Amino acid sequence: MTDAFHDAEWLARTRQQGDVTAWLERMPYARRIGVSVESAEEGDGLLFRLAPREDNIGNVLLPALHGGVVSAFMETAATLDLMLAAREPRLPRVVDVSIDYLRTARVVPTLARCELLREGRRMANVRVWAWQSDEASPVATARLHFALAEVSAQDA
Amino acid sequence: MSSDTPDAAAWRRAITRFVTVIPHTRGFGLTVLEAGPERVLLRLPWDDDLLGDSTRGLLHGGVATMLLDTACGSSVLPALPEPEVCPTLDLRVDHYRPGVTGQDLHVEARVVSVTASVVFTEGRLWQCAERPIARGIANFMRLGARNTPPGFKQALFAAENDHD
Repeated sequence: MTDAFHDAEWLARTRQQGDVTAWLERMPYARRIGVSVESAEEGDGLLFRLAPREDNIGNVLLPALHGGVVSAFMETAATLDLMLAAREPRLPRVVDVSIDYLRTARVVPTLARCELLREGRRMANVRVWAWQSDEASPVATARLHFALAEVSAQDA
Repeated sequence: MSSDTPDAAAWRRAITRFVTVIPHTRGFGLTVLEAGPERVLLRLPWDDDLLGDSTRGLLHGGVATMLLDTACGSSVLPALPEPEVCPTLDLRVDHYRPGVTGQDLHVEARVVSVTASVVFTEGRLWQCAERPIARGIANFMRLGARNTPPGFKQALFAAENDHD
């Protein structure tokens, strides 16, 4: 028992409990930028939040969040959302990310929601939508491909 | 070549100033090894906060995106006739292999093409030069001289006295 992502039993158990926070605790960079899970309402998917930390600023003149931090937030959201939404416990590994920056991300809380557009046996496609004051006016959208690794008991 | 064309050392100082005013990368100690119209080369010292999986010791994929965004954005300035503010329009990152714990990260970026409205760039990230971790393609919007704050260039090339 290692309480780690590659521990099949731990992954299955935390997934069953919907304990996304336990996963976040093992992702130091996600914690550093201040990613949290806001709510997990039934049928509505997960709502992710990026804290408006001074350390996340990329432009001091505006000021605005670092576009790369917003992107890292969206990638974290997509990974966690997929781990919960996939048919079986899987360890997603990001293959590629494509992000469109639509508006300046101000230094206020940023929210994100994900949609699993396709889950194949080997690959998944996830779309992410990030906004600040108004969900209908996203600051960025992203799409990601993930390779889905099986987690075998032997890996633990 | 006119006398006010910055040389490699002047660009390295200017891009150092550009990245050290970014709180996020300053916090991680990002340094500029090379900068000029040909390319920029940056180094990020290893920090355990860069991990995406602490038990397996793997780099967070988002760090790759963040660094490629920063490097591509830095490469834009020396490639323009005059420095302009250029927000990122979009960014694509291909993850070739996971980064691993304990090794510094290097990221280089270059401008591929400049039009009246867009700057096209590409970048590469590695820990070991023969084994690239990721490639990035980022496009930047040119806001033009009119939307660039007065004194932007002067701030980049300010006299030596304010660097530490």
